[in-house]
Amino acid sequence: MAFANTLYNTFFRRNSIFVPTIFAGAFAFGIGFDTGVTAFFDHWNKGKQWKDIRHKYVEAAEEE
Amino acid sequence: MAFNGLKKAVTLTPSVRTLPSGVPAAPLLNLAARAPADHAHGHGASGPRSTATPRWAGGVSRTSAGLASKSYVTLPPTTPSTARFLHTSVAVKDAPQVPDFSHYRANDNDSNRAFSYFMVGTLGLVSASVAKSTVAEFLKTMSASADVLALAKVEIELATIPEGKNVIVKWRGKPVFVRHRTQAEIDEARETNWQSLRDPESDEQRVKKPEWLVMLGVCTHLGCVPIGESGDFGGWFCPCHGSHYDISGRARKGPAPLNLEIPTYEFNDAEGKLVIG
Repeated sequence: MAFANTLYNTFFRRNSIFVPTIFAGAFAFGIGFDTGVTAFFDHWNKGKQWKDIRHKYVEAAEEE
Repeated sequence: MAFNGLKKAVTLTPSVRTLPSGVPAAPLLNLAARAPADHAHGHGASGPRSTATPRWAGGVSRTSAGLASKSYVTLPPTTPSTARFLHTSVAVKDAPQVPDFSHYRANDNDSNRAFSYFMVGTLGLVSASVAKSTVAEFLKTMSASADVLALAKVEIELATIPEGKNVIVKWRGKPVFVRHRTQAEIDEARETNWQSLRDPESDEQRVKKPEWLVMLGVCTHLGCVPIGESGDFGGWFCPCHGSHYDISGRARKGPAPLNLEIPTYEFNDAEGKLVIG
């Protein structure tokens, strides 16, 4: 219960702290969400994207 | 009709109502009117007063309708006008046994409060993220797409243009003249008395590297495409209305009001390329 009180007194007690905390959290959440979704997409499509197969064709073009 | 009239006469309501206390009710006459503090003056609770009632406290007055008693200060008589019923039984309660809600009560108000605010804050956080990404995605639809950006730039291998030759490339639907100037042409362009020209611009303002002249091949008069290496000044000549441009693309003769326009371009020295756009 001490944790709940600490949380309340630190962030929720004053609106001047509560609202900036929400905005900062939204900013961090947006970055984290984008990073996570991109990482998942790359993992899910591993070996299918151009950046994964680029080395095959670019090296071949340089050899010619 | 006569019977009805008789019936009405018989069934008249009593003109005087008797209160439960036995006193006839006289609505306009307040028999219980008293002064705010009428005690210990040597008179009883009832009977004639020994002191005059002040005017502001009301009093009995004669009106056209009869006697009227008004009292402004004292309360109206509290004598009940309805019959009083006695009961001796205990009143039956609607819900005699109140359930025990202690099982449903929160054990700890502090953690409940913190949890509630946490949920409010989380909802606000998600809402702010959604609002931000909505606005950002909407603004992205206004920016140029990748295929448009790819068409917006043109690359030219500079090594393929020999000295003293023109190359015309298409850039955003318009021709662009690229001239690899010789040293003599550079000197000629720089020695011109450009302050006296129609659109005074020095050659240094018009080129980034003296040997490469890059400009839009659209005549500033009416938009024809001038012909290279012709005209009276060794530069360009517009066949439509006879405008002459010199080796720096400046309007020298004819109806053209301005010099040939210079697009934004960069030199990629590492790969020996010129990037227009």
